[in-house]
Amino acid sequence: MMDGYSERPIRVLLAKLGMDTHTVGVTIIAHALREAGMEVIFTGLKQTPEMVCAAAVQEDVDVVGISTLSAGHTRSLPKLARLLREAGAEYKLLVAGGVIPEEDKSLLTQAGFAKIFTMGADTREIVSYLQQWWAERQAAEAA
Amino acid sequence: MSDLAADVLAGKVAAGARAIRWLDDRDRRGQQLLRSIYAHTGRAHIVGITGPPGAGKSTLTDMIVAELRRRERRVGVIAIDPSSPFTGGAILGDRVRMARHTLDPGVFIRSIGTRGQAGGLSRSTHDAALVLDAMGYDMVIVETVGVGQDEIDVVNLAHSTIIVGVPGLGDEVQAVKAGLMEAGDLFVVNKADRDGYEATRRQFELMLHLREQSRAGNGWNAPLLRAVANRDEGGAEIVDALANHRAHLETSGGFGARSGRREREQALALLRDAILREIMEKGDEALLEDVEARRIDPYSAAQAMLARWREKERVTA
Repeated sequence: MMDGYSERPIRVLLAKLGMDTHTVGVTIIAHALREAGMEVIFTGLKQTPEMVCAAAVQEDVDVVGISTLSAGHTRSLPKLARLLREAGAEYKLLVAGGVIPEEDKSLLTQAGFAKIFTMGADTREIVSYLQQWWAERQAAEAA
Repeated sequence: MSDLAADVLAGKVAAGARAIRWLDDRDRRGQQLLRSIYAHTGRAHIVGITGPPGAGKSTLTDMIVAELRRRERRVGVIAIDPSSPFTGGAILGDRVRMARHTLDPGVFIRSIGTRGQAGGLSRSTHDAALVLDAMGYDMVIVETVGVGQDEIDVVNLAHSTIIVGVPGLGDEVQAVKAGLMEAGDLFVVNKADRDGYEATRRQFELMLHLREQSRAGNGWNAPLLRAVANRDEGGAEIVDALANHRAHLETSGGFGARSGRREREQALALLRDAILREIMEKGDEALLEDVEARRIDPYSAAQAMLARWREKERVTA
């Protein structure tokens, strides 16, 4: 391509579930993803799993990233994964980050979350994880 | 007709979203799909919303959607934000202001990045609007990028264009862009509760008066409305004005004429894209680098590329 635009940028939906209003983390990630050439749809605060699912479908995103800093993630995150499956959107990559205790990670992984990023994860790690996943997905589709 | 096309015509959200994605990504399947649903387009009222950054376009759109829903109209929204010219990425945040409609099945909100296109719209906006039209939405609202002076491409796309102003941006900045004053169909001063509202309103009134003087019997008196969108004030008047404008266009034949001109422009745009793709080759990148380094002027470079293509056509004919 002769300009900065890839024909197929990765589309990522970032949302915060639950009642907390801390946006610093998710804002930093949004900017990092944009710097990496991705289109980031931010749905805002106080989202319910139903709202995130509806937005993810309307926006036809590739990745759904949830930021959660308050309790309730053991219910709301699996619920989101279930809603996405029911909507036929299980092919979307589901990731989460924030304050998630170690002991809850396997529950979330089993519920359908591909990766849980620990608090303070380097944005470069997040970017390369997504790019790696995307490259593998493109290769699989081309095959 | 493919299953996806049938699903789009049946109004299925996931299908419409996928179709828009293909068109945005310039995936061939997008155009194929569009061709098969095209006969079902041309019904929706396409409304553009444009204005400087800070005018509150997203909040205004949110308010208009709420009023339309009260009147049981189904509405699609295309919210456009700028893509970075360096990285190609974008933060598409307009949805945040329209969150109350997320779970309403009568509303479809799609965020799109400009992906290198100037003029306030993306290349895919026209086609995305057609998809929403074919899905059965009564109105498709296109909210443009609000950067600077040049977002008037929406005027060619929409049946009705709303120009949004806001108090406090200074005399010269807003209304004096002749193109906007010429082309707008409705004018809204948002954040009307702010200081400077009266002065801003007077500026618009003056410009509109001058516009009426110079128009030869167009028949449409562009209204100047007031709104405080974050308090849901002014939505009913705006929706009424849009309905009046649509009625005016239908009686004057303008509804079809505007759609028609838009489709004509789209055909030419597609042809330009196709010709460029046809003519350009890998080797041309080196030539373009020569142009950037001023080793060759752009006029000669363009001629060289055209001549090379003609030669190739001649040889293979």
